[in-house]
Amino acid sequence: MAVIELDGVTRRYTVGGGTVTALEDVSLGVDAGEFVVVLGPSGSGKTTLLNMIGALDVPTDGRIVIAGRDITGASRRALFEYRRATVGFIFQTFNLFPSLTAIENVQFGIDVARREDDGHLAAEVLAQVGLGDRLHHFTSQLSGGEQQRVAIARALATGSPVLLADEPTGELDFRTGVQILELLGRQAAQGAAVIVVTHNREISRAADRVVELSGGRVVGDGPPPGGPIALSELRW
Amino acid sequence: MRAVTFWLRWSWRDLRARWVQVAAIALIIAVGSGFYSGLSSTSAWRRSSYGASYAVTHMFDLRVSLSTGSFVPAGELTGAVLGIPHARLVTGAEPRLLGSTQVDVPVGAREVIVPATVVGLDVSAGHPTVSALATLTGRTLQPGDAGQPVAVLNRQFGDFNQLAPSGSVTVSGGHRIAYVGQGLTPEYFVVVGPDGQLETSGGYAVLFTSLETAQALLGHPGQANDLVLTLAPGADVAVVRAEIARAMAAAFPQVGYTITDPSQDYGHHQLYTAVKTTQRLYTTFAALLLAGAAFGAFNLTVRVVEAQRREIGVAMALGTPPTRIAVRPLLLGLEVAVLGAVLGVGVGLAVDALFGSVLRRYLPLPVWHTAFQPGVFLRGATLGVVLPFVAIAYPVWRAVRVAPVEAIRTAPVAAQGLGRSSVLARLRLPGNTIVQMPVRNVLRSTRRTLLTALGIAATITVLVALMGLVDSIYATIASGLRQVNRGDPGRSIVNLDRFRPVGDPAVQGIATSPAVSASSTEIQVGGTVRNAQASFPVVLTLLDFQHAIWTPEITKGVAISAGPGLVLCTKAAHDLHVGLGGTVVLHHPRREGLAAATFVDTPLPVVGISPLPTRYLVFLDASHADLLNLTGLTNVMMVNPTPGESVDTMQRSLYQLPGVASVQSPTSTIDTARKELNEVLGILRIVDIALVLLAALIAFNSTSINIDERAREQATMFAFGLPVPTVMVLAVAESVLTGLVGTLLGILAGRVVLTWMITRLLPGIIADVGLVNTLKGTTVLVALALGVLAVGVAPLFSYRRLSHMDIPSTLRVME
Repeated sequence: MAVIELDGVTRRYTVGGGTVTALEDVSLGVDAGEFVVVLGPSGSGKTTLLNMIGALDVPTDGRIVIAGRDITGASRRALFEYRRATVGFIFQTFNLFPSLTAIENVQFGIDVARREDDGHLAAEVLAQVGLGDRLHHFTSQLSGGEQQRVAIARALATGSPVLLADEPTGELDFRTGVQILELLGRQAAQGAAVIVVTHNREISRAADRVVELSGGRVVGDGPPPGGPIALSELRW
Repeated sequence: MRAVTFWLRWSWRDLRARWVQVAAIALIIAVGSGFYSGLSSTSAWRRSSYGASYAVTHMFDLRVSLSTGSFVPAGELTGAVLGIPHARLVTGAEPRLLGSTQVDVPVGAREVIVPATVVGLDVSAGHPTVSALATLTGRTLQPGDAGQPVAVLNRQFGDFNQLAPSGSVTVSGGHRIAYVGQGLTPEYFVVVGPDGQLETSGGYAVLFTSLETAQALLGHPGQANDLVLTLAPGADVAVVRAEIARAMAAAFPQVGYTITDPSQDYGHHQLYTAVKTTQRLYTTFAALLLAGAAFGAFNLTVRVVEAQRREIGVAMALGTPPTRIAVRPLLLGLEVAVLGAVLGVGVGLAVDALFGSVLRRYLPLPVWHTAFQPGVFLRGATLGVVLPFVAIAYPVWRAVRVAPVEAIRTAPVAAQGLGRSSVLARLRLPGNTIVQMPVRNVLRSTRRTLLTALGIAATITVLVALMGLVDSIYATIASGLRQVNRGDPGRSIVNLDRFRPVGDPAVQGIATSPAVSASSTEIQVGGTVRNAQASFPVVLTLLDFQHAIWTPEITKGVAISAGPGLVLCTKAAHDLHVGLGGTVVLHHPRREGLAAATFVDTPLPVVGISPLPTRYLVFLDASHADLLNLTGLTNVMMVNPTPGESVDTMQRSLYQLPGVASVQSPTSTIDTARKELNEVLGILRIVDIALVLLAALIAFNSTSINIDERAREQATMFAFGLPVPTVMVLAVAESVLTGLVGTLLGILAGRVVLTWMITRLLPGIIADVGLVNTLKGTTVLVALALGVLAVGVAPLFSYRRLSHMDIPSTLRVME
């Protein structure tokens, strides 16, 4: 059953005297456990699509149902609640809280989502992402890859069924990027619906499914050519 | 030209993007520089106004004053002076008669009765020409008024009691006098009593009348006890003075007298000394205000520059020379500073108008110059531009010295330098991370927190210091009132018309009046106390410390000792640097014959210290009246009303008795102190308004910058589903914490500045009053409310912006 359903979603912006169509009549579904890459060049609408799913933006037309809940036209308050309960975000620029340590950043995710916690969950999640020995470091004391792993841990810690990652490897080197993709892939294997937005075609080769956007429209939706490959075979 | 246009256009965009902060910083600079200009203008006004007022009234060059109780024929006095060898240097010489009385005048529905001085002047055609009478309302005295019951009332009394320009008063003996105007002579630009002490505007009157009228009222026909003269330009004053002294000694060998020049005139001295001393005080206020404003502006501009850190780093990475990189933020700083200085001129003009009205209110003069002072304003505007510009130059200098790779990194600088081993990293606080976030943000962003807190602390410091000064002034007045009101609060002081034996029927008549339940006699004369450290005029009171109905409280030492000894007030002892057992020289009159006195110097030990706040009150036990050759005599009585009798009724019945010159409340000495402080209080109230505004602006602006700097964090919180009200509460909590730190720092520092002002600055300015050093709880609460609430409320103004935040765009913001 689809965890994420988009039906005829369109997003238009009024800029200056004209209208820009960021998304046009996009329909797609993502199941639990799917690792989906949304691919497209800059300006293709892939980030807009992510923002729609994450309820950071509202569609001009169409319908969005996430985890059986129609969020189209939901109140602002309902959208906040939806994000707390359903969505975990991973950003290109990490967006960690600079005044909090690694473990506190992760704990933030747990507290926002009001997850049951015996006090060890944050440390466990950080250990899962390979940062068990950096719990009390501030973000400024971590490398880019480590910061992104903290960001992932924060998103994972929410326990959300949907993980949205916007260019998660954009700031990172190849080896680190692969490690990040491995983490995300593992979450999909554990049942989360993972959507990764990227312009890097190579990354899409490791996905279960690739949705390709161009000019705001879906121009391709299916498994990567030749089927998904192991992450260790990726090269960029 | 293209480059200039480019920079100006970019700078304009910077200004527009931060217009709220630009406006706030500019206003802060405007308040600081405007008040600086306004406060600094007052000394120029005073000097100009005093000079013009003394000139228009032809202030005397020399004055001959006979000692208390001495009178000589007016013609002989003038003749003695005009008979000196250098008489050609004397361009004007006019005898006068001064004496004590009381004035009874209706004010609204009540009667006001106050002690007064009658000043008899030559009003013949063209006179007086020396120390002339300047009539500020109504008409002046004319030749036809000679010998008539016509007078001009002193302006301060009329103004204080809001009297009509003309009317009538009743003086001692029930004589009705018509006052035809209100004015003053230069010796009474500051109201001075018969013994040379400062009097209050509402508690003491001066009646200027013809010499003949004064002689009749005071019972000294044809006599004078004062003479004022002017000298030709360039005259050798010392030579003339010496010749007058020889002439007086020859003509009136039994008569004591003093010869004074304008610098020795109490009022003249007070006014010109006050220019320097009060200007020091106002300059301190101005400097504190400007410092608070400059620091607030510095704090905010540092944050603005830091917000451009990454752009500066990008420019450096592209190879742009640091000097060119610095142009943009420096240009921003310069534009904000200029805007602030221009607004400051407007603030300064408004402040000028306020201060001008305060000065006119508390010091009516024939001439007041309160013109715009371009030099002062230029100085204030220059400071308003230079200080903030220097303030922004420093962070710009720092920013262009940072390595480009550091400047362009996306990890914010806020948490750098905290260290792995930081105790704060292991801080255990109650609640979850969301609840803890405000405390953690405050503790870990040390530099940012401190900068914000110090900006708030700067203005709170000045606010606490100046409001504390107001508290101290009021506490001093209250303390003085408590002292003088010891015993029966209805106690009154009866000034006799002259020295009388204690057994005199007039004295006994007062003591046995049905309106009086108890009384005691005193002697009160003017004098000077001095030693190597200081010298100042005093009022010496001799009273029976064992039997008088009121005596000053003695907190150190004793009142009565084996030999004669003085009881000084705390301020006097402090200024003389003398303690118990120390010796001072008392310059006092000593009676010679029936109606004359000479001044002598008597070294005396200090045997007691009284907590009365006024410096000029000095006490001696009446058993040592022989020092003044006044044993068995009295000129002042203290009386208590009969139980059930009102003070007004008692005073009124006493006025009818022979020998009574005036009856006054003992609080008049404290009212004198209050008068001296009134002008400072008036100025302080205006400055306090500026400080409240400044504190609110800095607090608001600091918090608003905080909100801007945390935009990406807030967007992240929204992305994770934290609702806007929760994020707002976190912002308010963080602001309140920062505000609390700043306010507590400000209160502590303000206390230090207040103590400095009271112990170091003010003793030289308000010489006659010893201020109580106090800070009221309400002042602390006001400071807390302002510093914490203003800061705490500030984030709420961003609620709308937060709730309408474009979350996706903000998530991608690079600082």
